[in-house]
Amino acid sequence: MAEKRRAMIKIKPKKFKVGDIVKVDFIAIHPMDTGMQKDKKTGEIKPAHYIDSITFSFDGKPFTTMKIWESVSRNPYFSVNYKVTGKGKITVDYTDNQGEKNSKSKKVKPKG
Amino acid sequence: MERRKFIQGIFATSAVVAMAVPSTLLAEEAKKEATKKGPNDMSFEEALKTITNGKGAKESDKIELKVPEIAENGAVVPVKVNVDHPMEEKNYVKAIHVLNKGNGNARCADVMLTPANGKGYFATRVKLSKTQEVVALVELSDGTFIQTAKSVKVTIGGCG
Repeated sequence: MAEKRRAMIKIKPKKFKVGDIVKVDFIAIHPMDTGMQKDKKTGEIKPAHYIDSITFSFDGKPFTTMKIWESVSRNPYFSVNYKVTGKGKITVDYTDNQGEKNSKSKKVKPKG
Repeated sequence: MERRKFIQGIFATSAVVAMAVPSTLLAEEAKKEATKKGPNDMSFEEALKTITNGKGAKESDKIELKVPEIAENGAVVPVKVNVDHPMEEKNYVKAIHVLNKGNGNARCADVMLTPANGKGYFATRVKLSKTQEVVALVELSDGTFIQTAKSVKVTIGGCG
């Protein structure tokens, strides 16, 4: 894979304090092919290509791990909660079934 | 009289043939559909067995499963799971599994949570091939499983 796929992390709400429970949304740009669809141009069946594992971690310490199958929609969206403990960085790593890896991180800055 | 009978006969047989051909074709199509398998197909019962280790799960109203009643596009069906359970150091929601009953592969997502999450919540979007039930299966830290199911009407299938 020459070009890195895009991914995005959003923390909701924007303003939060230590001890608040925030939503961490992760969206990846990924085709999530099931291995049963046909390519509309060539008519050949596209090989399965989907994200199969995701790890959410805070400062290198994982707090949520996921196993994903092909039944998840294209450009998948995942949302979990996280209890803010202090300043740091949330990192999301994913791997797909063809061995592609990607990671994205976002700083956590609680106020007050 | 004979001619009339003859013509009637022709009509009858042609009608039978006309009826028979599409039905056999349909049957073949159905067979193809049934044998068309994805790389990791799994029925709902099998998935339930492997996840719960054969224990099975109890129905519970502690889980709030939010899915649309009617999904116009089966390719993008939002699913939200909220578990009304404390998230303490020793008593927490260990995992949320999102399953379906009608797709080739019954498993959509397995989410392993920790007390750091603060709340048993998970949201995603899934593909549904036809009108079917979506199941949220939740594992608590004491090893018990609870589940809840909701049916979704799918207007246009989202697989393939």
